[in-house]
This record gives sequence, structure tokens and C-alpha cells, in this order.
Amino acid sequence: MTAISLPDLSVNLGGGLSIKNPVMTASGTFGYGLEFSPFYDISRLGCLIVKGLSREPVLGNPPQRIVETASGMLNAIGLQNIGVERFVRDVVPRLEDAGATFAANIYGKTPEDYEAVAARLSEVDALAAIEVNASCPNVKEGGIAFGSSPEGIARLTERVRRATRKPLWVKLSPNVTDVGAIAKAAEEAGADAVTLINTLVGLAVDHRSRRPKLANVTGGLSGPAIKPVALRMVWEVCRKVKIPVIGIGGIQSAEDALEFLLVGASAVQIGTANFRNPRVAAEVVEGIEAFLRTEKIASVAEYRGTLRLP
Amino acid sequence: MPSSQLGFRKGTIVRNEGHGSIFYRMEVDLPEPVRFVPGQFAMVSGWPGSDPLLPRPFAIFRSGSNAGRHSVEFVYKVVGRGTALLSGLHDGDPVSLTLPLGRGFDLSGEGRTYWLVGGGVGFSTLFPAVDALAHRKAAGFELFLGGRTRDQLPPREWTPGGQAPGRFHLCTDDGTAGFHGTLVDALRERMKGVPAADLARITILACGPHPMLKGLAGLAAGAGVAMQASLENHMACGFGVCWGCVTAIRDGEATAYRRVCKEGPVFDAKEVVW
Repeated sequence: MTAISLPDLSVNLGGGLSIKNPVMTASGTFGYGLEFSPFYDISRLGCLIVKGLSREPVLGNPPQRIVETASGMLNAIGLQNIGVERFVRDVVPRLEDAGATFAANIYGKTPEDYEAVAARLSEVDALAAIEVNASCPNVKEGGIAFGSSPEGIARLTERVRRATRKPLWVKLSPNVTDVGAIAKAAEEAGADAVTLINTLVGLAVDHRSRRPKLANVTGGLSGPAIKPVALRMVWEVCRKVKIPVIGIGGIQSAEDALEFLLVGASAVQIGTANFRNPRVAAEVVEGIEAFLRTEKIASVAEYRGTLRLP
Repeated sequence: MPSSQLGFRKGTIVRNEGHGSIFYRMEVDLPEPVRFVPGQFAMVSGWPGSDPLLPRPFAIFRSGSNAGRHSVEFVYKVVGRGTALLSGLHDGDPVSLTLPLGRGFDLSGEGRTYWLVGGGVGFSTLFPAVDALAHRKAAGFELFLGGRTRDQLPPREWTPGGQAPGRFHLCTDDGTAGFHGTLVDALRERMKGVPAADLARITILACGPHPMLKGLAGLAAGAGVAMQASLENHMACGFGVCWGCVTAIRDGEATAYRRVCKEGPVFDAKEVVW
């Protein structure tokens, strides 16, 4: 009898963290994780990233908050969330019970806010990593204010790095001139990995009422429409930094995810596609495994970064 | 509990027909039965590709099981590209459904009379509530249906209620059928002469355009009538994770944002910041 060898889906994300497969779900598109339990066993994910957490609960932006666009959507949620304390008290035990691997996305109005949330989350043993949101386009303070220059990202990363020993990921914005330089700054400041891309700033207007469709006027564009931009930026950053790169942007199938791994991403995050098909992330895990088996590729690591350039 | 059945399901269209000038009725075969509370909804998609990207929210109109076959029905109106594409699907075409979603109407009030008020396609949310009330002999109800014109009222044969002691009122903006005026005008007329003690035992259940709901909420509050309103909003997921569909709700002195898909779509009209 010949033993059937299953492909090794595990990936190393640096900072001492290895996850069982390269499929994660993106912050802001997966609630606090438990909302997906009716659809599949969330412990099958490599890691899930909960909605961006701040020091205090946040109300978010007024509606209308979302608009559908061609193969995409614009959102201006404004980081509405329950705050770090309620997350630790009410959500963490349930995620642990579900056997999920989970990371927290964090943001603040000031570097001190980021530091405080990171420090509080460091006390949560079960938390796999902290992802710093340095790129939300929908709030005036925080997010993009820090993420649009190498100096800004370095200062913020250093600050959070001092506050936590947890694996630290920095989520980058595509709304910059040189994403490679910003990724490099995050690496040098102590990030264990970088996540990219966050949403692209967009605008939708109504030609009859002559008004913007979103109350916030502009919003963040996501969905399959942004995949080529995301893929290019991930490819560019993979050539610039030595730390793992987590790719995100318009992934809605195993094929999309494999493309990001091919250009060098160590793992991927699935975002907007979770809205369309709540089972999609589980299907992507299965699809990647099936592809590797069919192609007789032993591991994700063997496939990663094997793009053949002309 | 209906929520225990929440799931993402693949179904097959067995009927998708246009009725009158604007309404379509779609019936979908599913591998398992669907139980729902009147007022709950589904996210529906069925077109190929990713444009449009997001599924569309439709109230669950009916569900049933017969000879091992399970089905769910929706009534919808073509308002944009997504609904236009859905209206072009045929028997045998696959559709994806996430259901049942949201919090439906609370029909538990003992000894109450329900006035169900449906504007436009809003009737599709209310007819399951009529069915539920018709099975409860003790509960009285009246049904008010409104449209801009006669042909924007639901087809007569869809109107539920069986032999229950209900009353039916029609109204049109242009006067081509029933009361000439809006549903708010019709309700105002209906309330005339009703003693305050009787009004206090009435609950309005309403679904329709925002101005109609706002007008009804004002009327109901002024008359001491309870009201549950089924709201609509742009939504991406339908099950509480995108936070896109929020509506402003009174939270003591402050305003909070609650998800139409999760904490709603049915809200106590007094809580809504209209």
C-alpha cells in the first residue's frame, strides 16, 4: 500500500508564529469571527482577523456607508467597534472555545492609543498576532495619517513593537506613491510581517441628485476590481522586504489566492468575498489543497514565490 | 428556533414569473426545509460573474415542504441591475441563498389587533405575518396595501388571510383603486373615531418606502399606537459582519447605530431616528 501524502499547507509568518494553512480572513469583513460559525468550522482557517479594535468603543460613520461599484464596493464604515475590553471579555473566550486561531487588528487616534490596545491584547495568551491598521481611509485621525509615509509608519511600528511581544503585522495602504519604501520602513521598525493592501480611496456620486452616495463622501474600494493593483503591490513588496508578506485584495477563489502566493505572499486574507459567500474562506482552503495535490506539489512553501518572469 | 437553520444554500429555480407591471415571484427548490419568522429575509444571488458583486436582500414570502420537496419563495421588484438579472433567470437555473436572516415581527402580543401596512413591494414582508395571524383566531387584523397606481398593487390572488376575520383596504396615490391618497392618509382616516383605549391595543406592522414609514411612525406616536417598522438599507453581507446597513436608533439621550440586517430589519418605530 502506498501512503497518500497530503500537501503541507502550513506557513511560517515570522515572530515564532506558524499557522496551519495560508488562508486568513480580513479585518472588517469577518466581524468577530463567531458570526461565521453557522456556515463552517472557523477553526479550519489559518487565522481569522477580527474587526479593528480601539481603546474605547467607536460609533462609526453615519449611513449611507456602502455603495456597490463595478466588481467591487466602496465602504465608509468608520471602524465601528465594541472596544478592546469588551472584545477581551466577551469574544475571546468564545473564539477559544471554537478552537479558532485569531489575530486582532488595532487602531487608534494617537500612537498612545495604539500602544494601549496592543499592551492590553498582549495579555491575551490565545491571541496569535496583532495587526496594526495604519491604512484605514475612512477616519480623519489614525489609520492613514500614520501610514502614508515611511517615517510615519516607522514611528508607529516602533511604538507598538515596544508595547508587545506578540507577532506584529503592519497593514499597509495602497494610497501611497512608494509602497515598497513604506513596507521597508515597517520591517526596519520591527514588524514581523506586512499585510497589503487595504482599500483604495474611491468616490461614487449620483448624477441626478448631484450628491455623493456615501455620507462620508469618499470610501474604501474593495472586491475583485482591486485585485490587479493588490497583486502588483504584493509582488513589489515581496522583492523589497525579507519578512513575510500577507496578500489581500479581491481574492474570491482558490485561484486568486494561489496567484498571491505565486508572486511571493506567505499567506492571504479574504475580505469582501466573505459578504458574497460566507463559506468562501473554507472553500479556498480546500481549493488550495486540491491544487497542490493535483499538481503534486508537496507544500505551500514550495509553490510560494515561483513566478516565472519573462 | 429559526436562526439555528441559518446557512448558505444552493437552490434551483422552479418558477420565476413576472406579474402585473412590476412584480416578479421566484420559487426556489432547496435540499432542506426553511423555517422563518414573518419579516425575516434572505440574501439572493444567481447571476454569473462578479458584477454586480453583492447578493440582494429579499423578504421571505413563503416556504413549504411537499412530498419531500422543499421550497422558498420571494416577491421582488426590478429596481436595478441585480434584480434585472435575477428576473432573467429561468427554471433550472441555480441560485445562492443565505437565510433566514434578521429579526422579524413580534406577533406575541396577547389580545392585540394588528394593522398591517404595506407600501409597494413591502407587502411581501407582511403577507407571511397575515398568514401567521390568520391561524391565530384570537388576533384581529386589518391589511392596508398601497401603490402609486392600481397596477402597482399586488395581484389579488396573492392576498393571504384565508377565512380569518380580517379587513382589507386598498389605496392608490392616483385614485385608480381604493382610497385616493397615501397609506398615511388612509391610516389617519381609519383612526378617526376610534377610542383611545382601542387605539392602545393596536400594533401597526409596516413595510414600505422610507417617507411612508416616517409618516406612519409620526401618526402612530401621536395616536398612542404601537408600531413595528421593517427597514431597508444598502447591505453587503446580510448577517451582521460588514456593518454597512446601520440605521440611527435612540439610545437614551444618545444615538446609536444598529444593523438593519441583524438587530432589524424590524424595529420598534419609537426607537428609530427618522
